[in-house]
Amino acid sequence: MTEVEVAEITAMGMKSIGAALAVGLTGIASGIGEMSIGAAAVGAVAEKKDMFGLALIFTVLPETIVIFGLVVALLILFS
Amino acid sequence: MVQSSSSPGSYIYTSTRLRVRKSKLLTPAEYHRMLNMGLSEITRFIGETEYQKEVEELGTSFSGVDLIELALSWNLAKEYQRVIDMAPGTLKQFTKTYLERWDIYNVLTILRGKIQGLSEGKIKEVLIPAGSLNKMVLDRLLAEESCERVIDGLKNWHLEPVLQSHAAAAISSGSFSQMENDLYKKFYADLLKVEEQGVTGADQFIKFVKLEIDTLNTKTIFRMQADAVSKASRDLFIPGASFTLDELEQISGLSDQVEIIDALSARIRNEPLLIALEELREKKTTLNEINIKLTKAHLEQMERLSRIHPFSIHSVLVYLEKKKYEVANLRALARGKESQLPGDVIEQYLVI
Repeated sequence: MTEVEVAEITAMGMKSIGAALAVGLTGIASGIGEMSIGAAAVGAVAEKKDMFGLALIFTVLPETIVIFGLVVALLILFS
Repeated sequence: MVQSSSSPGSYIYTSTRLRVRKSKLLTPAEYHRMLNMGLSEITRFIGETEYQKEVEELGTSFSGVDLIELALSWNLAKEYQRVIDMAPGTLKQFTKTYLERWDIYNVLTILRGKIQGLSEGKIKEVLIPAGSLNKMVLDRLLAEESCERVIDGLKNWHLEPVLQSHAAAAISSGSFSQMENDLYKKFYADLLKVEEQGVTGADQFIKFVKLEIDTLNTKTIFRMQADAVSKASRDLFIPGASFTLDELEQISGLSDQVEIIDALSARIRNEPLLIALEELREKKTTLNEINIKLTKAHLEQMERLSRIHPFSIHSVLVYLEKKKYEVANLRALARGKESQLPGDVIEQYLVI
């Protein structure tokens, strides 16, 4: 295997690690965010059933962080 | 004191639930509507709110003001138990400790009822089994024939030594006021000891206890001034908060209301209470108005604390306190209507 080939494989590996970190870390971050919002949302819905829709929207708001992570990962992999 | 750990999620869950429950309490507009209603309309109105289950359960056996009284007491006790069940970790322990005040209320109610020869059923109507002495213990105490036997039946209660020390004098004189003072003093002294145990969140609980002690002492000072109690009695005050007993004795010795307000304002850092004191300086008010104003300031400060520390014991305590005053308001409304008092007179006794 030539030095160029080794460098290409290493670059690909680094890209993959970067993409994995982007998705993984944003996943953890949104999990942390959703923990508090989810607990509050379940508490509110337990007392007022009609708050379900609103509570659900608030709970999934941190999911946007993962979407950003996914976009970044795709850009890393396919750019 | 039990130290248990719970996830942050369960604190957030409980605090939010109680916040929502607090928002369901009766609004000033609803109180104003009730002020224009008759007793039966009030019963029907209450029966459509959070008290529905109790009103329906008791509706077949009771009517009128007795039905309202009992439904309110049952609902309050049930609500307190539900909050204890719901609270996680240290919040549960603090809530239980806070609710132990109802033990004092229940024991004194039984003793006072017994000495006045009231029937078991009549005493039971006003008991709130929310503290460490549950329904079974209270029923056993109610079945006792005399005050001495009631006190003997409380051997395992942690405040029993205070009861025993005042028992003979209180029963012979028929007045339990000194016993009551000392029970509450011991109760608050025990609450303040929570700080020494190093439990997580104890600092917030202590903030509440000190706030309550300050409010109670302030009320006592104004009551002494209104009743023109000449001898400054330090026995009436609870130590441990913003003022020492010497300072409280000194302030209570002042005869002019403005001087009292100056002395209190110089040390109190709680803004709603300061505002209330300033308002009292500006116009002459009755003792009842002062009491209501101070209670409102107390609740306002609790509300502020619960906003500053949203997932602490404050959100539990502010709900429990507001619920207590809602029940007291409804009771005052029902009793006032039964006595055919005009709406504006009843309104003066409501904390809204």
